[in-house]
Amino acid sequence: MSLRSPLEGRGMIEGHGGLRLIDLTLARRGGLRGSGAREWLLSQGHTVPAAPNQIVASGESDSVMSLSHREFWLLQPNCGASSARPAAVAVAAGIWPLYCQHSHAWLQVAGEPRAEIMAKLCGVDLSEAAFPQGSVAQTQVARVSVIVAAHQDQDGRSVFSIFVDQSLARYLWEVISDAMKEWLG
Amino acid sequence: MKILTCPLNGPRNIAEFTYGGQVKPMPNPTEATDQEWAHYVFYGDNHIGVVREWWMHTPSGYWFIVERHNQTDEVMRTYDPAELFDPGSSPATEPVQADP
Repeated sequence: MSLRSPLEGRGMIEGHGGLRLIDLTLARRGGLRGSGAREWLLSQGHTVPAAPNQIVASGESDSVMSLSHREFWLLQPNCGASSARPAAVAVAAGIWPLYCQHSHAWLQVAGEPRAEIMAKLCGVDLSEAAFPQGSVAQTQVARVSVIVAAHQDQDGRSVFSIFVDQSLARYLWEVISDAMKEWLG
Repeated sequence: MKILTCPLNGPRNIAEFTYGGQVKPMPNPTEATDQEWAHYVFYGDNHIGVVREWWMHTPSGYWFIVERHNQTDEVMRTYDPAELFDPGSSPATEPVQADP
């Protein structure tokens, strides 16, 4: 059985200033939690952030996001999602898989006004000065819990990747697209 | 909006947090009497002064400890539970001093 996105059929929204909202829910991501997760990722050849709440590029198109000293997500936007659930057994001693492929939807906002749009919805200052590339915020957007990561996509554009519980994906898509309205043609 | 400083995520709106009760020693569940367990579950100190409390930053699911004056609502300090329960271990994050 293949995975389906809760945002299926929403397509893409584009506006002025390179503004773009897309659904990456079916792109691959996986997570690890445990005291040895950092060392395990390093042993697999990944680049790992030095501190919690950061995101770094790893390899040609992957990114590694740290949510604490013990929790990491590997984002692989160029790969399709695997429908199989990760095994409920340790990856290595004390390192456990996370179900972020199945638990979270992945939205991405690109374009110059992205921080202004998010300022309508989020209490954390996501402007470039306060929230530079490589920053991650675990916070609330429009009152729902999200993870926001500032990084570059595979084409070198500055983007916000936003991860939200799958059940709230449609709601978040609606509120972000509503906040984008003044920049739409 | 009140601001609380999460040791992992930094200063955030209080709406992002969930209160988890007083920090108090848990009796051994297999050995405690019903009375001891009920006291642990249902009773708490009600003095005025600095109290030690569990709080969770909801978006990250991160539990931490707050030392707060329950009359003035001044937060003295927030820190990772490892500092209290597992000294010497690597905490999920470094402790952060609360904003003055």
